[in-house]
Amino acid sequence: MISNAITLMIAVPLIGAVLCFAAKSQARIVALIASLVPLFISLQMYTGFDKTSKLMQFVESYNWVPSLGVKYTVGVDGIGMPLVLLSTIVSVLVVIYSWGEHDRANQFFALLLLNEVGVLGVFTSLDFFLFYIFWEIVLIPMFFLIGNWGGPRKSYAAIKFFIYTHIASLIMLLAIFGLYFTYRMPDGSRTFDMLTLIQATSDKVLFPPALINLIFAGLLFGFLVKMPAFPFHTWLPDAHVEAPTAGSVLLAALLLKMGGYGIFRVILPMLPNVDKMFVTVIAIIAVLSIVYGAFLALAQKDLKKMVAYSSVSHMGFVTLGAVAFTWLSIQGAMFQQFSHGLITCVLFMSAGTIQHTVGTRIIADLGGLADRMPKFAVLMLAGFMASLGLPGMSGFVAEFTVLAGSYATLPFYTLIVIFFSVAITAAYHLWSMQKVMFGPILPKFLDVHDAHTYEIASMTAFILLIILFGVQPALITDIMGTAAYQVMEPVKTLAQMGVI
Amino acid sequence: MVDLAHYAPLYAEGLLTALAMLILFAGLFMKSKSMMGYVSLVGLALSLFLVLTAKTGSIFFFDTVSVDPLSQFFKATFIVVSLLVVIASLSRYKESAGGDEFYALLLLATVGMMVVSSSIDLITLFVGFELASLSTYALAAFDKSRRNLEAAMKYFIFGSASSALMLFGFSLLYGMTGTTRISEIATTLTANLGPASLIALIFVIAGFAFKMALVPFHMWAPDTYEGAPSLVSALLAAGSKKMGFAAAFRVIFVAMVALRVEWYLAFAILAAITMTLGNIVAIWQNNVRRIFAYSSVAQAGYIAIAFVVVGAAGTLPNSAYVAQTGIAGGLLLILGHALMKTGAFIATAVVAYMVLREGKTDPDDISSYAGLSKRAPITAFCLLIFMFALAGIPPTAGYIGKFVLFGSAINAGLVWLAVLAIINSAISLYYYLRIIMYMYLRPATGPKIVEPKGYVAALVLTTIGVIWIGVNPQPFIDYAMQAAAVLLPH
Repeated sequence: MISNAITLMIAVPLIGAVLCFAAKSQARIVALIASLVPLFISLQMYTGFDKTSKLMQFVESYNWVPSLGVKYTVGVDGIGMPLVLLSTIVSVLVVIYSWGEHDRANQFFALLLLNEVGVLGVFTSLDFFLFYIFWEIVLIPMFFLIGNWGGPRKSYAAIKFFIYTHIASLIMLLAIFGLYFTYRMPDGSRTFDMLTLIQATSDKVLFPPALINLIFAGLLFGFLVKMPAFPFHTWLPDAHVEAPTAGSVLLAALLLKMGGYGIFRVILPMLPNVDKMFVTVIAIIAVLSIVYGAFLALAQKDLKKMVAYSSVSHMGFVTLGAVAFTWLSIQGAMFQQFSHGLITCVLFMSAGTIQHTVGTRIIADLGGLADRMPKFAVLMLAGFMASLGLPGMSGFVAEFTVLAGSYATLPFYTLIVIFFSVAITAAYHLWSMQKVMFGPILPKFLDVHDAHTYEIASMTAFILLIILFGVQPALITDIMGTAAYQVMEPVKTLAQMGVI
Repeated sequence: MVDLAHYAPLYAEGLLTALAMLILFAGLFMKSKSMMGYVSLVGLALSLFLVLTAKTGSIFFFDTVSVDPLSQFFKATFIVVSLLVVIASLSRYKESAGGDEFYALLLLATVGMMVVSSSIDLITLFVGFELASLSTYALAAFDKSRRNLEAAMKYFIFGSASSALMLFGFSLLYGMTGTTRISEIATTLTANLGPASLIALIFVIAGFAFKMALVPFHMWAPDTYEGAPSLVSALLAAGSKKMGFAAAFRVIFVAMVALRVEWYLAFAILAAITMTLGNIVAIWQNNVRRIFAYSSVAQAGYIAIAFVVVGAAGTLPNSAYVAQTGIAGGLLLILGHALMKTGAFIATAVVAYMVLREGKTDPDDISSYAGLSKRAPITAFCLLIFMFALAGIPPTAGYIGKFVLFGSAINAGLVWLAVLAIINSAISLYYYLRIIMYMYLRPATGPKIVEPKGYVAALVLTTIGVIWIGVNPQPFIDYAMQAAAVLLPH
């Protein structure tokens, strides 16, 4: 087993990013190697991961700023491990998908690697100070990806993305200060240790209801904006539509997962200690995100915007499963994060490939592309089927588990989701797929060629993974199941919390 | 026989003063002015070493000058700023006539600021203040262009008015207490608080607020920073302005501790207005140096939170710790801001150098920054780091300063102020991102240039400093905490 696995995993892409900036021509090869190494390390970690343990694994801890109680502490448990695996997989496949990028390629690939540094840091940090630094660092490569390689309104989208999510981070930081200044270690010193601080919130004397509710609301806001959940989702369509394909993929597959990760890591363990109203509020937000996101997706003319809103809708399942607070629903929500991370890549890659081979993403202007792009059509169809929840693919397992688990505690909300979103979700996927790919080919598309080999390769890998985890979800849900138990350890159910 | 070793902690000031005289004298005979630059460079580096290694805890000249961690913290900051400005000047003032005077004035201004940071007596403090101010008035007009002269004139008039206000406040304090020693004023005022003390406080705050450029005493700052030579603006925004804080920390925290409630209230209002107005006005500017000037105003508003925290801490159970972190946060932000602003203004000097060669007249317009990442990649990258640092993005010096300072505000129960500061941080991000956008996302409007070596060296050093403080904040936090302890009763 590699020692200091996590630090190494974060350091390699960072060094790779610097080399990429310096490399004049072969940046993509550097990027591929620098992203393959973390993948290799995370696979090593996955195989060496003790699936039954509730403890942090691969922990490294060093003093960093002792006078403030800041430590460099990293480690993974069942919440972080699947997302680390997801990040490393997606990063490699995005580099492959972008193989044909020639516009300032060295900067482009360096930013992809920097993004990987940031998300891996977020998923492994166990110290709020460190966590916040990575949380903010992620914004920078994405800002430049959108701003430099984006569509016509890229400046507006990049700035909106940065400021909107930065405000959310700052509010989260205030809440972190609230935790930090209230709790003292037994020896009187202060700490930023995430697990210690989160556990300390169960102390009713130290954290009176007014204070803990305020802190909780601040943290929740920070994470919900990132997810993004209704009504804080408005930065997402702009960022997605203007971002280059690789940027959109990373945004949807990894950056949104940071919000979900925050929910599992921070929000759920604190949930039993805060006002019961929050459960209702979060559940309503989740349901609105799912249903409203689906309706918005149905209304879109732009294929990429449709996919962007489908992300809002699908991430709503994460929120719903989390707040339903049953073992099954939490596990399902975690799996939904993982599964959506894979599926959304295919969707955004599809939209991207159509954009640059055909020149437009407006659904109404497209038609019959399957005729000229047969291989691509198969992959896109598979991705869309996975996204709408076709059994046998990971999306079905995830959403089914969430709904089944949530029905036990939040039956009313679950039924709303089932009645209003399932059919709509199927509708916008099928309708757009049918319009774009099938039917008679439009005369103007007769000389369109199929997608590039590297794009096909990348998408194929995603589809295979989606099927693999659809057929054999236990590969990853075993880990998540233990994590779900661990999250629920202090209080078992919503009933015990007195919510229902 | 004078025992020179007794004055060892003050060697740095002595060295710089002697050097300034020497440069003025040698300038009469020597043609090459770049030699003067290198001499100043070595002198400043040496005095930085002397300041950092000086033994603290002694008092000189009939209890008027104190060498303590606080004074050394400020001195180190000022010397670093001057050092960076001198490095950059090596590419600017080499052949032009009067280069020797530039370096001499710069060194004298540095000495003045160092005296202020050490003085524990109102008269000494005032003299140091004037030495620094007079030197910088002359520097602000140094290139003798019309805009220089206008800038220097404004700076001079406002500066003199503020000195007068300050001096009037000092005279009232002297009248009431019969002493000019800061510590004695504190004890006398605490024992015997008269209505005139409030008037003295108002005048003192107004005098300092001009120097610190707190709203509504900030009007001179944008015009001066815009019109003065870029490198002088760096010195003004990063050095001279911080001198106001050095003086205010001593006078307000120590001498006027009896009026805590009054200045707490005054600074709460000043800080809130200053940061909000500075940031909002900066959004509408198109001149980059004016943007930096208003951002500098806003940063002064953040730093002023330190006063509010100390004021609010008085009644809390752990007041000493809260006050100490508040001051330490302010000091860290002062250090960070000094570095970031020096760097930012040096970057504007590079752009001005680049644009003026093409025969354009308005080098500071934001359109001159279009495509800077391609035309002057090192400058653009360094400026990018400074912009993120000023906005408070981790891991940079700007982030650490804000982190400790805003954290102490929360700890002092000033949630409203922390929230306001954080909203302001978010607003400020807009205009920093705007500059970044021009540099990185707009097409270049001219060919790539060779960036002058002096500027590049100064920029790269500043960038390393800004990131180093962000990544390894522990020694700086320790230093700032020690410095903060000086101001608090033991």
